[in-house]
Amino acid sequence: MYVLSALWNVTLVRLPYIKSHCYLRRTLILSSPGRKIARKMSGQSRNSWIIKDDPRLVSARQKDFFVDIIDERRHTSDIGWALRQREVPAYKYNKARSPAEIKNDVLKSDRVKYAVEKIMEESGASLTDVMKEAESIVDEMAHNLRVGVIRGFAIFLVKVMKKLFQRVYVNEEAISKVRTLIKEYPVLLMPSHRSYLDFLLMSYVFFHYDLPLPVIAAAMDFMGMKFFGWLLRNSGAFYIRRSFGDDQLYWAVFTEYVQTHICNGDSPVEFYVEGTRSRTQKSLPPKFGMMSASLEPYFKAQVPDIMVLPISISYDRVLEEKLYAYELLGVPKPKESASGVFKARSILEEDFGNVHIFIGDPVSIRNYSVGSVDRTSHSISPRYIASLSFQEQALIQKLSYDVTLQQLRNMAISPWSMIAAVLLQNLDGIPLRQLVKEVEWLKRQASNLGAYIDYPVNETAEAIVHHNVFTHKNIAKITEDGIVELVSDDSMLVDKNGDNLMTQAAQELMVCLYRNQLLNVFVRVAMVAIPINSCVKDTLLIAELRSQYQLLEKLLNQEFIFMPGQTDQDFDMALSCLTRTCGVIVQDGSVMIKKSTNKYTTFFSQMFEPFLLGYWVMCRYLLSIQNGAHGKPLVKLPKTISKEAQVLSSQLIRDSHIKHKEVLSLDMMNNSLHSLYHLGAVHKEKREGKTYMYPNLVLLSKVTEDLSKFIEVPPMPQTTINMDTKTVVVNAKL
Amino acid sequence: MSQRHSIEGKDCATDVDPPSIPKRRQELLKWNGWGYKDSKFIVNKDNHVEFTGERYQLSGHTMTLLRDWMIKTVGISLDHKTPPQPELTAKDMPTPVRNEEFLADIRRTNISHSDDCQDRLFRAHGHTLSEMFILREGRFSRMPDLVVWPASHNEVVKLVELANKHNVCIIPFGGGTSVSEALLCPEQETRMIISLDTSQMNKILWVDEKNLVAHIECGIIGQDLERLLAKKGYCTGHEPDSMEFSSLGGWVATRASGMKKNIYGNIEDLVVHVKCVTPRGTMEKSCQVPRLSSGPDIHHFILGSEGTLGVVTEVTLKIRPVPECKKYGSIVFPDFEHGVACLREIAKQKCAPASIRLMDNEQFQFGHALKPESKSTFTNFMDGLKKFYITRIKGFDLNTMAVATLLFEGAKKDVDAQEKRVYEIAAQFGGLAGGAENGERGYMLTFAIAYIRDLGFEYYIVAESFETSVPWDRCLDLCTNVKDRLHRECKERGIQFPPYITCRVTQTYDAGACVYFYFGFNYRGIQNPVQLYDDIESCARDEILANGGSISHHHGVGKLRKRWLKKTVGEVGVGAMRAIKEYLDPQNIFGSGNLMVGDPEESAHNSSNSNVSLPSKL
Repeated sequence: MYVLSALWNVTLVRLPYIKSHCYLRRTLILSSPGRKIARKMSGQSRNSWIIKDDPRLVSARQKDFFVDIIDERRHTSDIGWALRQREVPAYKYNKARSPAEIKNDVLKSDRVKYAVEKIMEESGASLTDVMKEAESIVDEMAHNLRVGVIRGFAIFLVKVMKKLFQRVYVNEEAISKVRTLIKEYPVLLMPSHRSYLDFLLMSYVFFHYDLPLPVIAAAMDFMGMKFFGWLLRNSGAFYIRRSFGDDQLYWAVFTEYVQTHICNGDSPVEFYVEGTRSRTQKSLPPKFGMMSASLEPYFKAQVPDIMVLPISISYDRVLEEKLYAYELLGVPKPKESASGVFKARSILEEDFGNVHIFIGDPVSIRNYSVGSVDRTSHSISPRYIASLSFQEQALIQKLSYDVTLQQLRNMAISPWSMIAAVLLQNLDGIPLRQLVKEVEWLKRQASNLGAYIDYPVNETAEAIVHHNVFTHKNIAKITEDGIVELVSDDSMLVDKNGDNLMTQAAQELMVCLYRNQLLNVFVRVAMVAIPINSCVKDTLLIAELRSQYQLLEKLLNQEFIFMPGQTDQDFDMALSCLTRTCGVIVQDGSVMIKKSTNKYTTFFSQMFEPFLLGYWVMCRYLLSIQNGAHGKPLVKLPKTISKEAQVLSSQLIRDSHIKHKEVLSLDMMNNSLHSLYHLGAVHKEKREGKTYMYPNLVLLSKVTEDLSKFIEVPPMPQTTINMDTKTVVVNAKL
Repeated sequence: MSQRHSIEGKDCATDVDPPSIPKRRQELLKWNGWGYKDSKFIVNKDNHVEFTGERYQLSGHTMTLLRDWMIKTVGISLDHKTPPQPELTAKDMPTPVRNEEFLADIRRTNISHSDDCQDRLFRAHGHTLSEMFILREGRFSRMPDLVVWPASHNEVVKLVELANKHNVCIIPFGGGTSVSEALLCPEQETRMIISLDTSQMNKILWVDEKNLVAHIECGIIGQDLERLLAKKGYCTGHEPDSMEFSSLGGWVATRASGMKKNIYGNIEDLVVHVKCVTPRGTMEKSCQVPRLSSGPDIHHFILGSEGTLGVVTEVTLKIRPVPECKKYGSIVFPDFEHGVACLREIAKQKCAPASIRLMDNEQFQFGHALKPESKSTFTNFMDGLKKFYITRIKGFDLNTMAVATLLFEGAKKDVDAQEKRVYEIAAQFGGLAGGAENGERGYMLTFAIAYIRDLGFEYYIVAESFETSVPWDRCLDLCTNVKDRLHRECKERGIQFPPYITCRVTQTYDAGACVYFYFGFNYRGIQNPVQLYDDIESCARDEILANGGSISHHHGVGKLRKRWLKKTVGEVGVGAMRAIKEYLDPQNIFGSGNLMVGDPEESAHNSSNSNVSLPSKL
């Protein structure tokens, strides 16, 4: 986060510098081949009412349903814009309150009173002491949304946005809907979460469109930052501890604080259903705590309805790409030679392309819950005692998945994601012409599956590839002889093994981040393609295929978002996609393997190969864990397991058994561990408040075997194979 | 088919003070609307709304603001009318089912009875929207086959015996003001249905001044009861809004509530003794005591039984001396929320006046529109001043303001003290005393609204009221959410005009309140307004339950609300009710099909819809 606070410093100090940069960047853009043509042709005009006589011209300001909201800021005064009169809609039952009044209302609420009394009873503490604690909790938590600061914040935001991005696109049509919604019902904003910039962008968009600025549930890590913490708090961020277990008082204050905003409709409430930033750019399985707290007022009939707005924010280039790569590997990011400020400045000098913000269809919790929830069950106890029925909890989970899936559906996929996907299957580089062909092919497939691809029609595919590689020049390059390949990081970080494996892996992982954005589009068809592609028989029964799909879904459901209970429909849909557009042939209830194994199934399978490989490594590692003294496997902390599995991966990579350095990702290891736990292949055990894990060898061997049928697995090093348990060798290397 | 028997009963009409409603109701009452024939809202030659007759305070007055209010709020147009069908005659009604043995037996008794089609028609319905629409535009496919007018408890006993013997279905009929479809005949009923009209059992049998109780026959209607008692210096103080027409037996059978329950109590508090004739025999207690510890109170089997277990024939009620002083009042609040908070506080301090009702802004404006044209410029001037004071000096917004109407009763000094206390509490919640006149007009609105609905019917308006009870902490949310739900349903169902939706907190209790809703809309351009209305009201009831409200505070369940009964009292609760029914009435002689009887899914609500064959109007 220091990057952002530093960013602020820079903006403050270097205001005059900015304009020249804009100019610079623009010339850069224009120099891409497509633009050149456009400019050349705009000279002569057949008719006077046509300003730009170019049939291939596509407005970049307004494209499809998107409108760039930054463009006009480049021509007018930011300060005038920030200080302008804003006609902000308000919820029809809202009673205006100041942030201080909100805090006061929270402390005086029945819910907090009830918790305070319970704590006094249990702990014997005095009322003043407990109330003092409640006050300190609410002080720590509360936002201090103020118009004055918002305007200052807006100036800061617009400068940052203009600096970082070429265009910030918003589907403007949704805005008028949002405007009406805000008047009618309390609104929850649920953006996807792939960057810290998400909430800055959200606030910016709301400020731009004269909508009330949201209050945002933020994690505590921001709070510590001196200036930035203050700024965010005064711009609507409220801070929530990541975990507060069974701290009753904290629960009460937190719940009341969130709910009072919803009941009175003070501001739209924004939070991330994923809980935290998705470092992998794939979306994380939803969390339910915040969602439950926010929707309880509807189930308790304190509000007529609540509207949930899934919002998708897609970045051409993610600000934190490098940070994420190193985080995923679990190694410290290499120190740059210069100071943080310098780093921030260099970020400002970089080009992060476009951002697409798509505000999805609002979900009315009332309509969503018709027939599945009976709110009457809350009639016989006070509403301030937290309680949700099983049906309500189930509904909240389903909604959380739905929201996440809607976010995914509405993502704008950048051409770079497709380039990344192709590059990762050609780690040694690929000729530009072939890359272009592959990307175009992949684009068609993604479109067929319903993805929105941000693919400018007025530019040649070649120009697009050029442009995108240029934007990501820190990751990829085009060599003089027309080969596109990954750039290796020149900051040679040498780890204790005496090589720069982790640095190389980080470079590769950065590419993975972008491919990952595309994976959600393909994951279901791929899970059908994988068993087909790896099948050694002539035909594969649909029923068998289905059960393999189910296994894959169980394995991958920490990585990708699947609606619980919808596996069968997903499978049917995916299979029909494959048969209709990808040449998969089904006869008499079986897939004809030979005819069906083709470019489609192969490409789709290969996209997901690294995951299965990584999971296989985890399995092998777990199988190698030595038994403890009493014949029971040794228990280990999940963290330790992941770390040690990573060591095994790195050995396999060094020995050239595995190409994909992606398997070094600790995130992948954690996910695999969780999936294996859900499959019963790993058990949990609580000791002294900590959770330990140990393998269930029978089930684990089965899963390992299944995995090795889906992909080509590397031979384990000679020694280990002989030992059969591999323990000796692996452990020796740790 | 019209063999009318002894219409001139033995002993009614001979009394010095005859009952207000005659045995042939059609002589005095509208056949297809609310109340007296002479009293109705009409649009007069000046295109203004006028109330006819001489019966009420409003009678003969022109309400100059009302027409514009109706045009503005519900979008009526004076050019678009929906006149009712001409009066139904014998050919429009189903042929009566005749149980010859029963008829032969009844002829041998001296009990007055009739199968005249008008007599039957008048007892075939209550006053829900769908019933009124059947009268205005449709036909009944099932009706009582015979009307009987027993004149005493013993005649009722005889009748029930005969019905039991010949397996004839009985539906008791009191004042006919039901709003739960309780009087509708079940369409599937193949037995002969007799309507047991209690109106001839209308005497106060004795008054016991030592214990302050009176023993009264069940058929007496509210206004007669109070008038007769007043002659002796007493009252019961039970004043439901329907008291002009509803009967004592009906109050008991539906668990009625009176406007002044804060002083006198609801019907269950007033009843000291009940005699109820069931097919198993007469159920009553052998003592007339203020309280009894002897197992579950058998009175409570009967209270609210909605004619499913038997007929109430005689009731001993508490009476009180007529109060010395009666005074109206009103409080103006900046908004409804402040008003609810104030009512809650008044209930907490247990100092509620005889009646206290809080009207929301929409109802306040309605009340204002009902103001008769004032004759003097001075009144106009004063009204202007008042408005100026409230809006300009006190800063109230005419579009959010809410008004509480008050009725104080008691000894002069008690009333004064209570008044002072109530206004003091009100001041803490931003309330201002708004004068007696506003208060009185508020109560008048309740009486007038039933008549106004008939005017609405003439102009494409369907409207109805429904009510509930709710704990205090959920009261405000319930009002907000139910209104919101209604607005939303109207919008989603394509109603072209803004609906009229309003509520009032109409009773206060220690632990909660009674909330009363009016809901109506202009159905021009819509196919089946009654069905649509019912669907939307059902949504509102679902919403009420979701908001912690009840199935009903005093209207009862009848057939209209059966589907929510199990949700309200639980499976075991319904089972227990059915067990009582099974014991008292195994043959289902009292076969109205109300409350717990029969399958709620195929309640008469559905059958009543098929009962109605409405032409679609555009």
